[in-house]
Amino acid sequence: MQSYWFGDIRDGRCLPFAGDTNAFIHRISSIPDSTEPFTPLDWRQAVDCGVCTDRCDYLSRLQVICIAAAERSVREYYGGKDAELLQMVRTLDEIDTVINLLSERAADWYMVRHPSFSRKYRRVPAHILIRTMREKSRGALGKVAGEIEQLGEMRNTLAKEVSAQANAVMPNTSALIGGLVAARLMATAGGLRPLSRLPASAIQVLGAKTALFAHLRTHTPAPKHGIIFQHRRVHNAPRDIRGRVARVLAGKLAIAARLDYFRGAAVPAFLQSAQEKIDITFEGNRS
Amino acid sequence: MIWVGDVLVSPGEGGVYNERMLGKARVWEPYRSKLSALYHVGKGIDLDPSMRVLYLGAANGTTVSHVADYVEVVYAVEFAPRPMQDLIEVARRRKNVIPIMADANQPDRYTSVVEAVDLVYQDVAQPDQAAIAIRNSIFLRHGGSLILMLKTRSVDVRKKPSDVFDETLAVLSNAGFSVLESVWLAPYHQDHAAIVCTKADG
Repeated sequence: MQSYWFGDIRDGRCLPFAGDTNAFIHRISSIPDSTEPFTPLDWRQAVDCGVCTDRCDYLSRLQVICIAAAERSVREYYGGKDAELLQMVRTLDEIDTVINLLSERAADWYMVRHPSFSRKYRRVPAHILIRTMREKSRGALGKVAGEIEQLGEMRNTLAKEVSAQANAVMPNTSALIGGLVAARLMATAGGLRPLSRLPASAIQVLGAKTALFAHLRTHTPAPKHGIIFQHRRVHNAPRDIRGRVARVLAGKLAIAARLDYFRGAAVPAFLQSAQEKIDITFEGNRS
Repeated sequence: MIWVGDVLVSPGEGGVYNERMLGKARVWEPYRSKLSALYHVGKGIDLDPSMRVLYLGAANGTTVSHVADYVEVVYAVEFAPRPMQDLIEVARRRKNVIPIMADANQPDRYTSVVEAVDLVYQDVAQPDQAAIAIRNSIFLRHGGSLILMLKTRSVDVRKKPSDVFDETLAVLSNAGFSVLESVWLAPYHQDHAAIVCTKADG
């Protein structure tokens, strides 16, 4: 028997399929593989089936069903809880880039107005500098500095939301590495499902694309860490054991991501043992 | 193919992606579309109104819309949801575009909707592009043709583009395709090659 969207063909006879658009969508997404050798669909069989009258009718019916099916697939894809988190974390990183670019530009502008101003030997954080610029500048420059400050506030609100959402969507990964970094890992992998399918070695260097491809191409040393460098256990580790800590952490993250995807709830027993293992690697090799 | 001077165009409703118009025809930019580039640097396969096309890697439906201007029907397969939203919009405006959200690696997922076609056009950024083409050739009618846009950088960045090209040609001829034309798409697209072939049997 051969099954097509409009019906089943058995011994040269057609059994038409009846139902509304939803029923057809369900049918085309669940037709089992035929055991017989594959024969491509012939639209004239659909006419014999009585599903449509002519070629034009055939195509327009098929199109209605395929558009509806594609729309549903898109909706299902975006329905996952990670879809919005992914956009949130990408927006967050984009805002950071914008803030840095604008701050640089505004500082250059400010230095033209104040030729004696220099940022050297001043231990003031960037946002304080921006505030000074806003208070001391008239006109557009003051406005620009003000906008940068606003962006900074928005960024902090968003960062909190990302963290909270990550804790909910990926509780195990977030517990090990923090919500923000967990969300970045997920976004770089392209979603929770792809992340849960990555081997630990790939998670370890996720976000170190340039270094990784330089390594593959020209045999420079392989990167030891990507995004997970942002975790304190990695960047606080002495250089000679940093790779080791990164590898252990990545191993545990790979398990955590699978737990998050398939179970979707925190697993305290795993988290405790994983945390211990990471701490031992960090402390044990430090001396 | 329709040329106005040395500009390739397609006849159809404009405004799909703010493309330039020449009278009532839509300009088909070779720098934007690899298929248009193929018609500029080589021969390709002439599209005609009776043709049925299976288009793998339909993306936002930009090139799809031009192909649809020429042929009877385009079965447009795309896997990613974001471009699919645009493709659906193109399909709403064109009676002969059938969008299918599926992985071109698994043609058995769309055997129930795609009929036998005259042309398989493939433009996917995957490492195993030749294998995908071979798997989808089950839809190709006897004597039908395959246009494969080879993104050599997606196959293996460590290999030289020309090596990837030669390997792909070998894989295709071993699978029973006879290669009609194989060209690089420079200067329009870097490290991209087009391979035009027919299924040798039938």
